[in-house]
Formats: sequence, C-alpha cells, structure tokens
Amino acid sequence: MNLNLNQKPVPPKRSGVIAVDREHCLACRECEVACSLYHEGECNPYLSRIRIEFSDFDPGAPSILVCKQCDWPACAFACAALWDEPALHIDPESGARTIDPELCRGCGACLRACPLTPERTVIGIDNRERRPLYFKCDLCNGRTEGPACVQICPGEALTFIPAEKRRR
Amino acid sequence: MTYGWTGKILRVDLTSETLSTIDTARYVPDFVGGVGIAARIAWEELVPGIGAFDEGNILFLMTGPLTGTLASGAGRVEVLGIAPQQNPAVFSRSSMGGHWGAELKYAGFDGIVIHGEAARPVYLWVSDGKAEIRDACSTGANVWGKGTYGTTAILRGIHGPQTRVVACGQAGEVRSRIAVIQTETGNAAGQGGFGGVMGAKRLKAVAVRGTQGVRVADPQGLMDLCMHSSREGQSPHSGNYRKWIEQRQGKDGPSLRLKKCGFCATPCSYVNAENAGLPNGPTIPSVALQCWGYERLSREADAVMRAMTSDYGLNGWEISYGIIPWLQLCKQHGLVDSIEGFTIPMPEKPILYRRDAIPPSPEFLEMLIGKIALREGEFGDALADGACYAAERLFDGQGAPLLDRIYPRRAGQTSHWTGHWGTGGNIYFPHWLVPILQWCVDTRDPASDSTHQWAEHVLQYVAGNAGPRPGPISDEQARHVSATVYGHPDICDPTLTYETPEVKTIPALWHSHRAMLVNSLILCDREHSRIFSMLTEDHVADTKIMAKLFRTCTGFELSQDDLDRAGERIWNQLRAVDVRNFGRNRTVDLSSLNAFVFPGKDDGVALDQERFVGLLDNYYERSGWDPATGWPTRGRLEALGLDDVGAELTVPEEGIVTG
Repeated sequence: MNLNLNQKPVPPKRSGVIAVDREHCLACRECEVACSLYHEGECNPYLSRIRIEFSDFDPGAPSILVCKQCDWPACAFACAALWDEPALHIDPESGARTIDPELCRGCGACLRACPLTPERTVIGIDNRERRPLYFKCDLCNGRTEGPACVQICPGEALTFIPAEKRRR
Repeated sequence: MTYGWTGKILRVDLTSETLSTIDTARYVPDFVGGVGIAARIAWEELVPGIGAFDEGNILFLMTGPLTGTLASGAGRVEVLGIAPQQNPAVFSRSSMGGHWGAELKYAGFDGIVIHGEAARPVYLWVSDGKAEIRDACSTGANVWGKGTYGTTAILRGIHGPQTRVVACGQAGEVRSRIAVIQTETGNAAGQGGFGGVMGAKRLKAVAVRGTQGVRVADPQGLMDLCMHSSREGQSPHSGNYRKWIEQRQGKDGPSLRLKKCGFCATPCSYVNAENAGLPNGPTIPSVALQCWGYERLSREADAVMRAMTSDYGLNGWEISYGIIPWLQLCKQHGLVDSIEGFTIPMPEKPILYRRDAIPPSPEFLEMLIGKIALREGEFGDALADGACYAAERLFDGQGAPLLDRIYPRRAGQTSHWTGHWGTGGNIYFPHWLVPILQWCVDTRDPASDSTHQWAEHVLQYVAGNAGPRPGPISDEQARHVSATVYGHPDICDPTLTYETPEVKTIPALWHSHRAMLVNSLILCDREHSRIFSMLTEDHVADTKIMAKLFRTCTGFELSQDDLDRAGERIWNQLRAVDVRNFGRNRTVDLSSLNAFVFPGKDDGVALDQERFVGLLDNYYERSGWDPATGWPTRGRLEALGLDDVGAELTVPEEGIVTG
C-alpha cells in the first residue's frame, strides 16, 4: 500500500459490517460456536471472531465484541507498513478486512493498531501452533448465507449491513 | 481422532488426592454419554450398602457428546450419585444449565467422576487437560464457609474472569439433604441434595476454564442442521423469541430481562434488569425468576429470597412447595404454632393442594432460609434434611402422614405436572395417568425429563386435551402425529383410560427412553423430546433430530432406532443399579401412589388404584420387566446388550423377598 501524505489518500474499498443490538442479546454464545465451527471446523468459543462478555452477577445487557470493519482500517495499515506481503488485506469481493493465516507472521501490529484494543479487543491470538496466529472477523468471506453468527442468533441481536447501506 | 466426545473422563479420588482418567471410548456409543456413562460406571463400581454421605458414594458431573457444540441446549450438565434427598437415599440424577458444562468440554473432559472424601476442604481446578486438587481454606482461596456467590467470585479472582464454577454453599457443607450444586446465579442441580454430597466429600467447588474446543465429525452438516432446525419447545407459542423479548419487555417495562443458559436457542427464565434489594437490606445479584419461586411475594422480596437460597445453596423448590406448606399443614393440625418466635402463617380453609397454602412474609422466609442453611436450632437442623425426613423427627412423627398430600415420600420431591399436589401446570384425567406411571418407576420427580414432555405437549397442542382450553391441533391431526411418533393412533385420546393400558404405557416408556437420550447427549429437556410441531404440514415434529445431531457430531452412523435402543439400554441400566443396590421392586414402585390417591387438583377425579395396577403390569410387560418383581428380565437385558447385568440380576427360582 502506498500512502503519499502530500496527497489526499484514497480510501480502501468499503466493507459491510455486523451491527449489534445488545438489548436483544441473551448471552447464549451460539454466535461464538457458529463462528468457530465455520472458520476452524470445531466448536470453540476461544477461537471465535465474535465474543460475548457478560456476568451473571451483573444484570445488564452483555457486550458484543466484533470487528467494525473500519473505513480506514488501522490494522491493515499497520500490517502493510511492516510487511511487503501483508497478511491483513481488503478482500476484493466483500471488502472485509481479512487476515490471511498463511501470510500472518504473528507480529501483532494489527492488534496494537486496532482502536478497540485493549478494552474491546476484536482481534484474537491463536497460540496452538508454534508461532502465534492472529485472527479476526472476515464476515465469513464467501459464505452464501452471510455471516454464520448473524444467521444463528436466536434473538436477532446481530444484523449484517452491506457496504452500500452503511453510514459514512 | 475423537469427535463429539473429548475422549477422557477425569477421575478424582479425594481420599488419596489422586487424579486419573477414564477412556470415554470404553462406554460409547453404547451408553452415549452423560447419564448413560454414569449409570454404567455406577453399575461397575458402586457396591451395595453405601449411603449418600459415605466415603464410598461416587459423585458424577457429566457432559455428553453434544455438549459445547452448536446443538441448542448443549450447555447442560448431569449430576448423579446416591442422592440424600430421597428417603431412603438411592442412586439418582439432577441436571443444570449455564455455561459450566461446555467449559468442561473445552477443558478437555467429558465428565468428572469423584470418589472418596478429602481430609481437608478442597476445590478442584480444571484447565485445558489438567486438573489439580487445591486447598479451599488457604489465605488466597478461603472459600470454605462462603456462599456459592462468594466462592464463584473468589475463584474467578484467582483463575480469571472467564472461569466457570460449580459450588455448594454453606448448606452443602453442613450436609443438608436439600443442598444444591449451584452455578452462577441462575442455575443449579436442584433435586437430589447433591450439594450435600459435595459437602460430605469436603469438595467445595469445581472451577473450570478451557480453550480446546470440541471437534465434530461433520462441521458443515452440523452447521446446516442447527441453522435450520426448529426452535419450538413444549408449546406452540414458543419459537419466535425476538417477539417474546419485545412482548415481555413491553409488558413489564425495562425492569425484566429474558434469560437463558449458554449454548441454547430457547430463553426459559427472566431476571430483574436491576439487582434487587429490600429496604434496609443488602443488594442482591439478579437471579432467574422462573421455574420455582416464593410465590405471591413482591418481585423484589422474591428475588432477594431466591438469591439467599442460591447463595446458601439450598433447594428452593423444596422450601417453597414442600417445607412451607407442610409447616402450615402441621399448624392446621395443632402440631406447631411458631418457629423461633415467628408465627407460621396459616390459611383458614384446609390445605388440600399447594395453591391453598399462603405466602409467608419476607421476614419469616429470611429467618427460615437462614436457619435451614446453617442447621440452626431444632427446626433448622431438622428441616435442613427436607420435610420428608424432618417429618419423621419433629412433633413425634405426627406430621408424617400429612406429607401424603405433598410427596411420593420415597422421592422426597413434590410432584410436578402430575395433576395432584400442584406444582407445574394443569393436566387433566386421563392424561395424568402417564406421569403417575413415570413416578412409579423413577428414582426422582420425572417431570424434568419425561413428564413435562408428555404433559405439556398433550395439553398445549391437542384440541381434545381433556381440559377447558383446546390446543390448536385437531384430534384427527393428533391421531396422525400419534401414529407416526408413538406407533399408535390413540395415545392422545382423552376418552381412553384404564381399559386400554397400552395407550398410557407407550408414551410413559417412549418419554422415559427419550429422556435418557436427552440426559446423555446432552440436550435441553425444555426443547426435547418433541412430538408436535406447528412448523410442519402434518404437525409431526422432527423426531429423528437426535440421531442427526449425534451423527454429525460424533461420526457414528446410528439411526434414530439405534439411538432409541441406547435410551432403553440406559433406562434399564439405571433400573438395574436401583434394583441391585437399593432393593427396588414392584412394592417400592407402588408405594409412590401415596401422593396420588387424592382427587386431581384440576379435575377432581380420583385415581382408581386397583385398575391402575393393571397399567403398571402392562408397563412391566412392555418393558420386558418381570411383573412379580419389577426387575428387568435377563432376556430383555441381553437383547439390550447388557448380558453381564442380566447374569447378575437373574431372579432366583424361589423368588425374591419383597417388602
């Protein structure tokens, strides 16, 4: 990515986003399981790209943590600034800000750059292999029915908003 | 590679403080998981002559192959062991929702089998394939003596905020027979007194954290199945829960929120949107507001009392529906007037059903719950064992006959959806004959996994439900559903009573066998087993859903018929434990009728005991159980692959001594 600071930068392709309505979330975490099942082929909330934070001792609505697919994705810029062949790229079809696991070097620049880090972290670290692999929401790139979490949510607390319907 | 199951069950011996594992593959697919595996291990390892609080009792905390997967209801846990609440204590089961069960799977275990008795109070810490027995009285983790809420908070402080905890409260520590195993604020394994078993073992809590996940055989297949499977529960009105949330929040304002367990599509309870508190009292974390309650108290007072009950780790169902009405009955019969200076409230008219009892004041309740939890005073000490045991001890035993209204006494649990004492909904003759059959042969209130599924379906879906409010499915359609699901068209016919025993025994057995699958896979008993559906053209629910879920999760190609046979196998294995270890027989089965001889609460119809015996005979015959003893026959056990059980249980030629 070439950024010439003397010119007005051209924004990358816009992405759709998963909109959340926490008042309708009852913390069943089916979204977490559906996400990991789709991406990792196993049921494992720890590897989910969406996270539900809640406490039984606090009756308020849960927090739903998922990537905002920023128009100006700091994560993608951070990755591109460090690596010639960046793992974090803009998917040409969907516009989703996506990490290619084959290319991820595990440097963590994306996580540090993300404006939601650390209070509402949406980029996860998979430590199962010898090196850390970073992962984040890619809107289930290529899935015909759209994001799995949106489809499974029994309370319809999650909605997919396509790029063209997103606010500027 | 194991799919569905993690492949390991953790075995803990608290006496020697040693840990080992059991290979899950030894027991599956024949015993499925959960209750099935526990029943089998109990048969192999639990010797006769052991009491609930003895060192030899084994406590099982079990999950199943679907736990932690995308299958709705997959957060549940089954708890088994010799249950102190039952009188006499027998091997029984209880279950709870929440998030703990899935977390245990993610930590790499299909269950925990706990033996022995620790020399000092301990808790168990399980994380990612490892387990440790830890001191529960150390400076950093001083949880012994704390309530379940405090224990959870302290253990989360040590092991991280995402740690899931099951714990017994102070009631469990003092070996209350009505102590529960609590998880968080909204879920407990309530019936059976298993919190007291934890306390007797000096095991305060089991804290779990896992990041390993559950591998499934067919991820895409499971995904498709779960995305498109019905979300109907036991009522034609459930299913659209977005609408439910909005209706509920509109009706009660923002003060109430729906609540549900982890990994489940169906919300089943409510919580106050704000923590509750009484004037001048402490503020209490919000607790689940459905299933049982201290009825007719203000919502604030009810929430505070429920929270006290959960925190002390007590069975509120028993306090509210058993102990309090029994005390009022005793007062009506002149046996007692007050407890610790608090006058027992008493209605004017005689208490015939639960609805006739009147609500005590919050002050009375606070006193009662506190005394019971800590076994304080004569009453607190006696009532901590439940009304069923207390009645033998207090008032020279004169209150004991009064229990007949309330309990099938050997279970020590109030009947529920059975049309008599009256917890649960309305159900009308002859439909309550099925639950009474289930009561006769079970070791606990069968409502949670068998009776609900029959009673609610027939009441809420069928037009001819024998009650005043017809369901949406016509009798003709119901005949079709009945023929398809049960293999007999007349099962829901409200005109058939004792003269067609198979019409009662077929559903009694079908639901008990399916219940064993629900408890072993494990699914939510509120969602399964389904019979009717409003979403299919012929109103037949997808009755093969369990086999489909099982196949996609585990990779074992079992048909629903194979799985149903596994359900029957598990049911017979449990019965065999009850027969061999606890002398279960026909006489014990029939003793349950003590609670059902009064006219039904909704219809005034009285049970015809003589003709009911014919139903039980038919139940035995259809089960392949010996009608004289009620024991499973060798032939049926062998047909189920339980040859070793058959060999051990063979009825001697001179017959067994029943009594």
